[in-house]
Amino acid sequence: MFRQFQANGGGQLLDHSEGPAMAFHEFYRDDFRPRDHYLAMWEHIQGIGQQGLARKARDAQLALHNEGVTFTLYSGKDKGIERVWPLDILPRIIPAREWQPIEAGLKQRVCALNLFLKDLYHGQQILKDGVVPPELIYRGKDLCREIMDVDPPGDIYLHISGVDLIRDEDGRYLVLEDNLRTPSGVSYMIENRVIQRRLLPELFSNYRVRRVEHYPEHLLQALRYLSPRGPDAAVVVVLTPGLFNAAYFEHSFLAREMGVELAEGRDLVCKNDKVYLKTTLGLRQVDVIYRRIDDEYLDPLVFRADSVLGAAGLINAWRAGNVALVNAPGTGIADDKAVYAYVPDIIRYYLGETPILPSVPTYQMTDHQDRTYVLDNMEKMVIKAVAESGGYGMLMGPDSTAAQRDQFAKKIVAAPRHYIAQPVVQISRHLCYLDAELESRHLDLRPFCIYGRDIEVVPGGLTRVAMRRGSLVVNSSQGGGSKDTWVLAD
Amino acid sequence: MLSRIAESLYWMARHLERADNTARALDINVVHMLESDEGLTEDAQWRPLLTIFGADAGFEARYPDRRATVQRVIHFLTQDPANPGCIHNSLRLARENARAARDRISTAMWESLNGFWLAADDHLQAKLPPWRAAELYSFIHREVATFLGLTQTTMMRGEAHSFVRLGSLQERADMTARILDVRYHLLLPDLSLVGSPLDYYQWGALLKSLSGFESYRRCHQNGIRPIDVVEFVILNPDFPRSITYCVNALEHALTRIGYSPDGVAAAAIAALRDQILEMEPGRIIESGLHQYLEGLLMCLAGLGDALSTDYFEAYPGDAS
Repeated sequence: MFRQFQANGGGQLLDHSEGPAMAFHEFYRDDFRPRDHYLAMWEHIQGIGQQGLARKARDAQLALHNEGVTFTLYSGKDKGIERVWPLDILPRIIPAREWQPIEAGLKQRVCALNLFLKDLYHGQQILKDGVVPPELIYRGKDLCREIMDVDPPGDIYLHISGVDLIRDEDGRYLVLEDNLRTPSGVSYMIENRVIQRRLLPELFSNYRVRRVEHYPEHLLQALRYLSPRGPDAAVVVVLTPGLFNAAYFEHSFLAREMGVELAEGRDLVCKNDKVYLKTTLGLRQVDVIYRRIDDEYLDPLVFRADSVLGAAGLINAWRAGNVALVNAPGTGIADDKAVYAYVPDIIRYYLGETPILPSVPTYQMTDHQDRTYVLDNMEKMVIKAVAESGGYGMLMGPDSTAAQRDQFAKKIVAAPRHYIAQPVVQISRHLCYLDAELESRHLDLRPFCIYGRDIEVVPGGLTRVAMRRGSLVVNSSQGGGSKDTWVLAD
Repeated sequence: MLSRIAESLYWMARHLERADNTARALDINVVHMLESDEGLTEDAQWRPLLTIFGADAGFEARYPDRRATVQRVIHFLTQDPANPGCIHNSLRLARENARAARDRISTAMWESLNGFWLAADDHLQAKLPPWRAAELYSFIHREVATFLGLTQTTMMRGEAHSFVRLGSLQERADMTARILDVRYHLLLPDLSLVGSPLDYYQWGALLKSLSGFESYRRCHQNGIRPIDVVEFVILNPDFPRSITYCVNALEHALTRIGYSPDGVAAAAIAALRDQILEMEPGRIIESGLHQYLEGLLMCLAGLGDALSTDYFEAYPGDAS
C-alpha cells in the first residue's frame, strides 16, 4: 500500500511502507503530523534538506567504515563477509514517561528470571508447585545438568541480558524475546551514539538526551564485584571465540573500553581448579571471565569435547568458586522460547508482582489444541525454533511459500517441543532515510541490563530496523539496520 | 647550529602542539556539551576553555558583554584574528617557523606541514559553523600526527631534532597542567560522588582531552577516581602526555643538545624535577592542587626562559 501525504511544513514525503496501515507509527500521529517529541527533529531535517541529508548519510557510512564498526555474516551467499554496521541517520526518540515503565519492567523481569534460574538449578520448587510444567524444562535441550547445585557468586546467573521489545498496533511495548545467553549489540548502541552526535549536533542540542556511554564502566564494576579475590585484586578478561566471530568488533570494543585483556581459549590454562592467562611474565590468575562463547563450547571436559574455543577445566574452576563466569552457564533454559510464555507466571510466582511489560501470546506446539490451530493458520503465524536466535530457524507466515509451510509443519509434528508459534504482530514503524528518500520501516528495541550489585538498565538500547520494505525481520544477520536511540531526560 | 634556526624549530613544534591541543579540547567540549545532564549554563561550559588557553582577557576585549557562547568560543579559539593564540594563527606560525628552518627539516616533513597549512588556511577563510568544527578538528589531529610521525621517521637525531622535541614537550606539559588545573577547579571533586556516572563522564572528558582515556582504563579499573586521574596525568612515566613523561623527555633532549656550562637550563630542569618529586597525590589535593599546578607552570615558564637565555638569546623576538 502506498500512501502520499503533505507533510507539515510543506515538504512532500512518500510513505512507501507496504505493511498493513494498522502498524503503529512512532513518528507520525494518525493525521500524519509528527508526534510532539519529533517536532523539533522534523523542523531540523526540513532545514537540512534533501542534499544535506544525503551528505550526512554518506558521512555516517564513511565514519563507520573508517572506525571499523563491522559485523560478520554467518550464512547465505555472503557467508564470512565483514559488513559495515548500517546506521540510519534519523534517531528514534523515547520520551521519559515511556521509558520509565520499560526500565521498571525490565528490572522486574530480569530479577524474576534470575530467581527462576537459581531455583531450576537447586530445589526446583517452581516445578513442584506446578507453575511451569516439568516436561517443558526436561524436554528442552537447554537445562544444563552439569551445574546443578552450584552457587555462583552473589547468586547471579543473568549478569547481562538484552531483552527485545516491540510495540504493537496500539503502541504498547511488549517483550518479544529474552536474550539471556551472550546477547550482543551494546557496542553498536554506543557507536551509533558517537556517530549520531557528530552527524546532527545541532539537533542533539535541542533535546536532553540521556547518556549511554557509561555502559562499559557499569559492566566492569559488575564484573569486578564478582571476583573471588575481591574487586581490587580482580583480573577480568573478555573471552572471545576470535576474529571470525560475528560480534568480534564488540568483544574488542568492550575489552578496550574496560581496559581488560581480550583473551581466546588458547590464552587460558586451568590448573588446580584455577584459571590462568598465559602472559609474557608467566601465568596470571583470572578472577572473572566475561565470556562471549556459548555454553557448549566453554569446556571440552564438560560440554562438547571437540571445542577448542574454551578451556579444559573451566567449569570445575567455576564450581570450585575460583573464577566467575558471566553469564553463568545454563541460562539458555530461561530464554527458551517455550519458557517465554510462562514468564508472566514466573514473575508472579517469585515476586508476587503483576508483570509490567506484557508478552506476545504464544502457542505451545506440545499442546494438541494449540498445535492444530497453528497448523491450520500458518500464514498468520511466526513460527520459531525454541533454541535459535538471530532470526535463524524461523518462519514468517505471511511471507512464506506453501512449500516452506509444509516443511515447517513436518518439523513441528516431528519435534513439537522444539517450536512455538506466535501471531504476527504488526510491529511499529518509523521514519528512515533510505536511498535518498524518507520511508517507513518496522523496528524493535533491545535495551541492555546489567545485574551486579543492583540491576541497571542503560537508558537507551539498540534499535534495529528492517531495511526491506514491509519486512518485519530486523536482525542484522538478516539485513537489518539500526537507529540511534534517544531516551529523553524529561 | 644557529640560534635562530634552533628557535624556529622549537616554535614550529610548540605552535603545532598548541593547535592540536586546542582542537582536541574544543572537540571534547562540543561532545560533552551535547549530552550534558549537569544543568550547566552555556557560559559555564565554555568559559573554562578560554581560561585554559589564557584567552579570557582577549575575549573580553572582543566581546564587551563577556558572554561565552558556543559560537563565540569556537570562533575565538579556532580562527578569530583578534586572538593571536587561535588555531589558525598557531598553524600559520608553525609553518612560518618551519620555512625559516626549511633546510634543517626533512622534505617529507616540510611538504606535509605546508600542505596541511594550505588546506587549513583555505578552510578557515570562511567562518566555521560550530557543527562543522568536529570535521576540522579531526583533520587537524590527523595532520599533526602525520607530521610528528614523519619527524620520528625521517629526521636525523641530533641537535635540530632535540629542539623540535623541546618545543613539543614543553607545550604539551604546559597544556596538561592547564587542562588539569582548570577542569579540576570546576569539577571540585566531591568524594561522595565518586563512581557516579557524572564523574565518569566529567573525568572521562578530561582524560579524553589528553588522549588518555583508554590508557587510563588499562591502568585503573576502579572506576574513574579524581585522585587516580590526578596521579596518572602528573606522575605516570609511561603516559606520553603526563608531566613526568614530558619532564623526562625534556631532560633527555637537553642532555642530547648539551647544557651550556654557565647556563640556567640545568637549574630550570632541576626545579621541574623537584616539583614532581615532591608530588604526593593525596596530600597535594588536600593542600590545594591549584597552588601546586601554579608552581609547576611557573617552573615550566622558567624552563622556557632558560632556553631563551642559553640558546636563543642572540636573536630575540621575531621568530616567536
